[in-house]
Amino acid sequence: MPEPMISVRNLAKRYGGVVALEDMSLAVERGTIHAVVGENGAGKSTLMKVLAGVVRPDGGSIEIDGRPVAIGTPNEARLHGVGMVYQELSLFPERSVLANLFVNREPVRHGLVSVSAMERRCRDLLAQLGLDVDVHAPVGRLSIGERQLVELCRVLLENPRLLILDEPNSALNQRETERLFAVLRGLRSRGITMLYVSHRLEEVFSICDRITIARNGRDVATRDIAELSIPEVIEGMIGRQREALFPPPLPPRPGATAQELVVSDLAGGRLRQISFTARSGEVVGLAGLEGSGVGDLLDILFGLRRARHGTVRFPDGRGLPASATDAARRNVCLVPADRRRNGLMLDKSILFNISNIVVGARDGGSPWFSRKAALGRADRQIDALRIKGKPDALANSLSGGNQQKVVIGKWLEIGPQVFLLDDPTRGVDVGAKREIYGLIRSMSADGGIVLFSSTELPELVGICDRILVIYQGRLVGEISGDRMDSRDVLHLVNTGEPAGKPQVPDAGKAVSA
Amino acid sequence: MPEEVGVIAALLLMMLVIGIARPRFLNPINLFSLLGNTTFLGMLALGMVFLLAIREIDLSVGWMFNFSAVVAALLMVAGLDPWLAAFAGILFGACLGFVNGLIAVTLRLPAIIVTLGTYSMFQGLSLVVNNGRAIVPSDQSSNFFRVISYKLFGVLPVAALVFVLLAVAMHILLHRTRFGYRVQAVGSNPEAAAHAGIPTARVRLQTLVLMGAICGLSGTMYVGFRGAIDPNEGSDFVLVVIAAVIIGGTPLSGGHGTIIGAVVGMMIIQVISSGLIFFGIDATWSTFVTGAVTVLAVSLDRLIKYQRSRRAETRRETHG
Repeated sequence: MPEPMISVRNLAKRYGGVVALEDMSLAVERGTIHAVVGENGAGKSTLMKVLAGVVRPDGGSIEIDGRPVAIGTPNEARLHGVGMVYQELSLFPERSVLANLFVNREPVRHGLVSVSAMERRCRDLLAQLGLDVDVHAPVGRLSIGERQLVELCRVLLENPRLLILDEPNSALNQRETERLFAVLRGLRSRGITMLYVSHRLEEVFSICDRITIARNGRDVATRDIAELSIPEVIEGMIGRQREALFPPPLPPRPGATAQELVVSDLAGGRLRQISFTARSGEVVGLAGLEGSGVGDLLDILFGLRRARHGTVRFPDGRGLPASATDAARRNVCLVPADRRRNGLMLDKSILFNISNIVVGARDGGSPWFSRKAALGRADRQIDALRIKGKPDALANSLSGGNQQKVVIGKWLEIGPQVFLLDDPTRGVDVGAKREIYGLIRSMSADGGIVLFSSTELPELVGICDRILVIYQGRLVGEISGDRMDSRDVLHLVNTGEPAGKPQVPDAGKAVSA
Repeated sequence: MPEEVGVIAALLLMMLVIGIARPRFLNPINLFSLLGNTTFLGMLALGMVFLLAIREIDLSVGWMFNFSAVVAALLMVAGLDPWLAAFAGILFGACLGFVNGLIAVTLRLPAIIVTLGTYSMFQGLSLVVNNGRAIVPSDQSSNFFRVISYKLFGVLPVAALVFVLLAVAMHILLHRTRFGYRVQAVGSNPEAAAHAGIPTARVRLQTLVLMGAICGLSGTMYVGFRGAIDPNEGSDFVLVVIAAVIIGGTPLSGGHGTIIGAVVGMMIIQVISSGLIFFGIDATWSTFVTGAVTVLAVSLDRLIKYQRSRRAETRRETHG
């Protein structure tokens, strides 16, 4: 193999107790498109952030063109020719396309920003990208796909030698994706090296030359794309499962009544024509990529988002809650995915947070806030969920796992009937994960209806009785029983097609056709 | 240790320093008149604590105060029983607060933006109603005027007593009721509050109505105390009120408030301005000094917060 354009060795990075990179090595050949794939938490994003100078590694080395380099800041990354296209759009929506393309690097004439110079410099590039928009219009008026291309254009204007693309087409439709791929192939033929991070495996196979599979912060395999198949890659991503992590189902508790949540032909947000029934005593998994609409489904069921169409019948015989307040009063609970933003009052105590629902959302009973009663609630949940912290400890001072237990505990205080759990183990250490799985088991054994969404497939397979897969807003499949196997689910989640069907035709052919 | 210890110590220290230099300052009559002077602004500060706690600011308080006072005084002039007129003034203040709240909630605008507009609207309407002249209820024989301006034991004005009682009530409201809990929850993290099913819009509306009602109470009591309301009274209230609340230790970042702190903060501002007079310094300096104390208070607050968050961080790392 010729000398790689960039190689990293033994990168390590920890955030507190969470290991993001354990021992990651990677070598990217000049003028190739190199994919990095892995599950959530495999360390892909952290690796990219290290290369872009956003995150400093705790250990390991980086070489560019055979020379060791230190990339301490995004600016240094730029000087080394590393350009990164971010997954989350980092544009200023109120500013024009031009202003966004030349942030901080505005060409200046006579001390003034020269609009004509900006137009000149980006005209060809925009044409290449097939981006036909008014460059003076604010970016906020562009479609998401167009914005993603503006973002790419901005990075390309810096003439990077290594282009890092983190899920670059997550927001693009089929045509825009094909156009993007044509551009990437063009860049490759001009000798630009690319690192490509994506969940969509069939696309990785159509555009990339080599592939590195990451798992648990390590690189487990690097091969030419021709040597691998999608099932093999999926096998590598999942690895051997840790069975002991998932406690066995509990027998239903006597007296738990059978209830149903019936969703028929529901549409709203990105969702279209969703129908399913969830029963008490089972854990129903919801699987889908970021932006597939799983989050929208939970938001609609919790009254945070309006449905456009369709009906839902809750166990209490009524339809969708009118608001989150209504949901909380009807014993529907939501454990949100973004715990720090949506789940907790970080500058408040455990005691305060645990009373969120009983005192904050409900209206019945006494208008007084009794500290003694609140202390009783906090003690009860600290005891039951083994939260490590005193009632007066601020939520901010707790570890991720204990924070999540506080969020769950505040809902358990009202004994919900419907549990909507949105990625409840995100950013939680293994021990706390096991405890949360145990809690989910007892929620369902107590007769609760549990909808459990997760971005980690082993967890879905390990804990759910059946899994509903949502792909681009549609319910594309339900997997249960013996067929429930990470490989099948992952295939369905990533492609919208059951495993075993013929591959999606090569996107390259589609472009040339 | 209660969090208000710091400001209380600061207040006592200031009083001691002035008292040693000018012993006349510590005369009880002077001290009680000091408390009396803080009454009307102090009441507004109590309401403002709730606003800061819910991460909002009401800029229109001075004109809600003025407008309700004008309306109450005009009703008295029109011959309505002063007690009834006072009650109407409180209701009117609540209505003004309701207007603020309704706009803020339905348009999902921060109250600071809404009240920037209603500030001038209330001022303008008040001017239209009073024709730019002071309103003086001619018949002040009602015991309303006598009770409000009566001095208990010859020193403590009844108005000041009402202020103290209101402070106690507001303290209980903030810390011991469902409403107070919700105010703190919404202010601490509005997103999380919404996700917990807390009716955030209703709580914001209620808080702004409460602020209006307190302005109405303060305004009508002012009419009873002074026997008149000037067309410009209240114009310079809002910044002093916010300064007092901040000096008292209520953070602008929301989620938390201290009524005791606001009362002490108001007194600190009073002590500064009257202390300056005792030292023979021109009273025009008092505005500057109040501002400087506000800046000092927020700097101290920042510093303490910063250290606290650093400590929490290291604790998490070692636990992690």
